[in-house]
Amino acid sequence: MAHVKDGLTRRDVVKVAGAAGTTGIAGLTGCLSDDGGSGDGGGGGGDEDYPALGNYPVEGDKVTFGFNVPQSGSYASEGKDELRAYKLAVKHLNNGGGWVDSWDDLSGDGVLGKQVDYVTGDTGTDADRARKQASRMISRDNVMMISGGSSSAVAIAVQGLCQKEKVMFMACLTHSNDTTGKDCARYGFREMFNAYMTGQALAPVVTEEYGKDLKFYQLYADYSWGKTQQASMKKFFEEEGWSQVKSVATPLGTKDFSSYLSEASNSGADALFLNHYGLDGANSLKGAIQAGLDQDMEIVMPLYNRPMAQAAGGAIDGIYGTVAWDSQIDNEPSNSFTKFFGEEYNGRVPSGPAQLAYAQTLQYAAAAERAETFYPPEVIKQLEDYEYSDLGMEQETMRKCDHQAQRAVPVVKGLPKSEQKSGKYFEIVQITSRDQLGYECGQGPASKCELGSYK
Amino acid sequence: MSIVSQLATILLNGLQQGAIYVLVAIGLSIILGTLKFVNFAHGALYLIGTYLGLLITLNITISDGKLAEWGYGQVGLDLGFLPALVIVPIIVFGVGLLMERFIARPFYDRPDTDQILLTFGLAIVVQEAFKILFGGQSYNFARPAQTSLGSIELQLSGPIDLPLVGTIGIWRLYVIAITAVLVALVYLLIEYTDFGLVVRAGTRDAEMVRLLGVKITRPYLMVFGVGAALAGIAGVVGGTLYAVNPNIGMEVLVPSFLVVVIGGVGSIRGAVVGGILIGLTLSSLVAVAPQWSQVGIYVLAAIILLARPQGLLGSEEVAP
Repeated sequence: MAHVKDGLTRRDVVKVAGAAGTTGIAGLTGCLSDDGGSGDGGGGGGDEDYPALGNYPVEGDKVTFGFNVPQSGSYASEGKDELRAYKLAVKHLNNGGGWVDSWDDLSGDGVLGKQVDYVTGDTGTDADRARKQASRMISRDNVMMISGGSSSAVAIAVQGLCQKEKVMFMACLTHSNDTTGKDCARYGFREMFNAYMTGQALAPVVTEEYGKDLKFYQLYADYSWGKTQQASMKKFFEEEGWSQVKSVATPLGTKDFSSYLSEASNSGADALFLNHYGLDGANSLKGAIQAGLDQDMEIVMPLYNRPMAQAAGGAIDGIYGTVAWDSQIDNEPSNSFTKFFGEEYNGRVPSGPAQLAYAQTLQYAAAAERAETFYPPEVIKQLEDYEYSDLGMEQETMRKCDHQAQRAVPVVKGLPKSEQKSGKYFEIVQITSRDQLGYECGQGPASKCELGSYK
Repeated sequence: MSIVSQLATILLNGLQQGAIYVLVAIGLSIILGTLKFVNFAHGALYLIGTYLGLLITLNITISDGKLAEWGYGQVGLDLGFLPALVIVPIIVFGVGLLMERFIARPFYDRPDTDQILLTFGLAIVVQEAFKILFGGQSYNFARPAQTSLGSIELQLSGPIDLPLVGTIGIWRLYVIAITAVLVALVYLLIEYTDFGLVVRAGTRDAEMVRLLGVKITRPYLMVFGVGAALAGIAGVVGGTLYAVNPNIGMEVLVPSFLVVVIGGVGSIRGAVVGGILIGLTLSSLVAVAPQWSQVGIYVLAAIILLARPQGLLGSEEVAP
């Protein structure tokens, strides 16, 4: 993370220029601008090195971020927790505190001398609505960065728009292989691991527990995430010697899974994979346990998080899965995040999606500080192949070829109801190191990635 | 798996899925049929029933919303499921009476669009109020594993092995049974009491009932109350099947309207038939073409509306 601040930086020059009269300079450069990007709402052009692009340059003494999360729909619980973390990140960026104090790149007095402001949007867990919200943030609020997700369909839609509009997208909760695979974008970065890595991390652990040669049945959410999740589970469990009996898509927002579960129960399979998330995940798992499927089949919930575990209650007992992050992970960044998040929100224990939201906001801010400009191509270059270890997930690399973080994946097992308490729903079975996961550039999901242009 | 056992599974799943819609739709149907009042806030009554049921049955931890902020992080009576099944309909019955007297009654002679706007707005207000109080998070309405009814211990949850069907959650059988008992009670009330006579007559020709000198105000109040109470019970029962959050009222409303349209406005038997048909359509499409399961119920409604605009068991009105 170390960033040596030697001599007079471009940021310092910009600060001085800003004091001398930012408006005049912006107006002048605006007249000179002839470069791409909509430039609408972002004022005129940039400077000689960095012409106007997207919403660059930033006018005035504030820089605005857009937080586009589901506050309604199947993933609303996750979205609410993300929003808490985003607000906390902005507070820390402006006033210091939290991880800002320990990151050399960040000063606690805003970003590049500008106070951070934010706007929010409710995606409703719907891609079209999310795109409209993001479009409004870009054209009306002049945001320099958008973060959000909680559904891969939403994240992919917004990421595509951001690429087109040349606005940075720091993906929060999105787990589809496609986000950094076939739908990857130069302007998008993902800290969260993907379904492929979940398969890699989960298959050996579950196979060791239940044995090889098992037959499995899959239910999966019928959109980008569910499809790649299903495909990844099939690939890695079949490599472990398992065989898939059948896989069935279920519509997003299904409340009653009983008919699907009956079909699975009568299929003769030994294991049932529930590739559902958020409220849908809580409903399908609850339905499976109520119907007694766990008596004859092993149930696996590949991707968990805290809000859905809370909604599913005792149904998660003994069920394996992976999580983005968990407050029980014992290292300095994780412990401090749990502590200051709790202090801000009445002792609330942060969820994995909250940690992602907080981390991604700070990652963008730190990259802009390192780049000494908000000019997107320069910020992107600061994030590409960036090495870091301050998010509590061991040593990580934000890989240049597909913008997918190479990181560890926590494998967890649900706790019985009697052992659950606020913020503690899982037992961490192992944190699979990044050395045991991932794929080369040009292989796996990365083989379909074409990032697009910097400008 | 034999075809017979597959059909038995589809049938049972269909009955259970349709049961909740039937409970909601009966209230919706008799209010629409008798009072000619389009009540989009009926889902809000379901929502109220669910949260009340949750709070009576269990002691829950609230980590979001105003209640938590005010220091009520742990609320609920922890009385168990059966008391909730008795207390909730009584309370929601009262809510229904208030709603009829102060909200619906001034709008009886207004156009449908006014009624829709009013009740839709009310539904959103109720939904947002719950969101503010309890936060947007989902709660787990886990019912107790068993409950005692006098000296009899009832096993409420857990799996059971049925011939042909295989293993299913025993609670799903209770849902079907509770619905059947309630439907029977309402049917007896409507078919064999003076109150029911007025309701049935009102369904056919409300103006004529008035002209015959029947003081229709009180039966109307009762119709609204009974309809609301049924939505409340549906909320308690349905709440145990899915995670509980402020959006569930709206989610149950649309399929319930479909049940009314399919079965015929004002007909209890129609609501039962409509509910079962929707449940069976959902469960059978899941077995053969899962991706069409949600579309299927709308196609079914469209076909029935084309063939029989008044619904399967609805009667054409005598007077305009």
